[in-house]
Amino acid sequence: MNKITDRTFTGEEFVSHRDDSVIICRCEEISKGEIRRAVYDGMRTMSEVKRYVRAGMGLCQGQTCSRLVKNIIAKELGLKPGEVEIPTPRSPARPVSMEIYANDGMKK
Amino acid sequence: MLMKRYELIVIGAGPAGLCAAIEAAANGMQVVVYDENSRPGGQLFKQIHKFFGSKEHKAKERGFRIGEKLLDEARELGVEVVLNATVMGVFENKEITVMIEDRVEHIKGNEIIIATGASENMLPFPGWTLPGVIGAGAAQTMMNLHGIKPGNKILMVGSGNVGLVVGFQLIQAGCRLEAIIDASPRVGGYGVHASKLARLGVPFYMSNTVKEAYGEGSVKGVSIVEVDKNWQQVAGSEKTFEVDTICIAVGLSPMSQLAKMTGCIMEDSPAKGGLVPVCNEYGETSIPGIYAAGDVSGIEEASSAMLKGRIAGSAISYNQGYLEENIFKENQAKYRSSLEQLREGMFGHKNKGRTDLLNTEEGFEISLNLLENGFLADVEIAHYPGVVSQERRKQGIVPVIECTQNIPCNPCQDACEKGCIKVGQVITNLPIIDGTAKCTGCGMCVAACSGQAIFLVNEDYAPGYATVGLPYEFRPLPQIGDKGIALDRSGKAVGEAEVISIKSAKALDETAILTIKVSEDLSMKARFFKSSKEVSL
Repeated sequence: MNKITDRTFTGEEFVSHRDDSVIICRCEEISKGEIRRAVYDGMRTMSEVKRYVRAGMGLCQGQTCSRLVKNIIAKELGLKPGEVEIPTPRSPARPVSMEIYANDGMKK
Repeated sequence: MLMKRYELIVIGAGPAGLCAAIEAAANGMQVVVYDENSRPGGQLFKQIHKFFGSKEHKAKERGFRIGEKLLDEARELGVEVVLNATVMGVFENKEITVMIEDRVEHIKGNEIIIATGASENMLPFPGWTLPGVIGAGAAQTMMNLHGIKPGNKILMVGSGNVGLVVGFQLIQAGCRLEAIIDASPRVGGYGVHASKLARLGVPFYMSNTVKEAYGEGSVKGVSIVEVDKNWQQVAGSEKTFEVDTICIAVGLSPMSQLAKMTGCIMEDSPAKGGLVPVCNEYGETSIPGIYAAGDVSGIEEASSAMLKGRIAGSAISYNQGYLEENIFKENQAKYRSSLEQLREGMFGHKNKGRTDLLNTEEGFEISLNLLENGFLADVEIAHYPGVVSQERRKQGIVPVIECTQNIPCNPCQDACEKGCIKVGQVITNLPIIDGTAKCTGCGMCVAACSGQAIFLVNEDYAPGYATVGLPYEFRPLPQIGDKGIALDRSGKAVGEAEVISIKSAKALDETAILTIKVSEDLSMKARFFKSSKEVSL
């Protein structure tokens, strides 16, 4: 099994870092420590971290933080940032209010 | 449901998107461009500085003027540019959904060009979410689009061209730039851009990063700290600055979400700035008919983005039968060689991120002072081919070109009608001054130099005195007769100076030429003028 799918619990304690309280995802106010903790808890991809702690699920949809989240996951797992699996972008690429969606297909 | 159909859909009205649309429309295609912003032009309208390159790259023109020309051209060709139009998704069979006002439109294209550009990288540090920490792009938007000063006392983080150019613009806008810092040991951007700041007295702290921003409710100060070779903070090396704004310019990431949504093959490429679609030489992704152009397919600068747009636009015109094969081949060769020119030199593709270069391609030593402190040391100046001998300088006015790195730029060559300046075929070559040609002191070269690296030196002015003509882009302009001090390349006061002439003709395009009288020993030192009327710069 490769590093990404191997989730065997190491038994080691979670080690706090000095800068764990720094906010990484500003929209959802998720700290670096919470993201590191998510990886410690077994999250291995950006999608998993996103679903687990909501980093990147706010208004900007990860526009600012996704690169930072990716780097944190990579560092925790000892990978290159490019090796971290990224989430699948889905429509809508930008926030759209439900009302506008509801208008879709209606006659003007 | 009735679905609109276009021959070409372009997503993004920045330099790449507009150029792609212009190219396709000029060949007769029916083109629509969608942009989520309320103004077209992408980042071009924030660029108030003169661009680099050669004439065909629109060098020495200011970015926003290039933007205006592109918009006029697009309009004349009947390109439909739809603003406040957010593309929400790209689906199978080249269908897209666009949010326009309060409705969703479904649109089909025969071909699609994704030209969504890039977004700024952020740097997380304790306090980075405080109001007052902003991206360099945000600072430019505030200053150059909305006429608002982003702050009064500013720290710039990042010494790439964005950090250097925006840093200069902040000073132009009346802010005080306390320092530029960069975690890298060497200035990342062009030496000429760094020199513009250094001579105003802006200190460069290389191998430094932000340790912490502090303040309640907003930034009141920042501490920086040195980093070692392994990017670890060196305890005890902290410095603090009282600032109200921290400007972050640490690179860009391609905004490639829509590209990925199409299902095309992507690659994570550090050289291209992040996740980008894999494209062929025309910018076509692995899905036929879906193209990517500009920063979304790899971070470069606006001039390259325009060419990447033209290449894609012309390839699509050919595929759709709007362009004869021979003309297509001719165009491609032209655009490609033009793009290759921009990718040459010490900051080009091949040398990106290299820190081991010691010499220019011609064999001149690269100044380490420039790379570490942002300015050339006095003793280094004479080594470069843009600097004539003292004997020649004694004979009367002559340009001194302090251009010491291989960067793709040559407007100085055409600016001189007398043939004093030669760059040659390779546009990254350092300019050479022909001391035998007669300089009239017209100043066209000074204004043509996008790097503000040309000075007119006259050591034959009056006994004991010399004059220095220098580029000046601050307002209000000083007046003839104003007295003040001359600053050297490091921004240090070196002696008294008096303004004896000011040129601000239209042809100089807002780069005024200030001629100052200094003591003769300062002719090769004095590089900026600070009026005694000014409290601070």
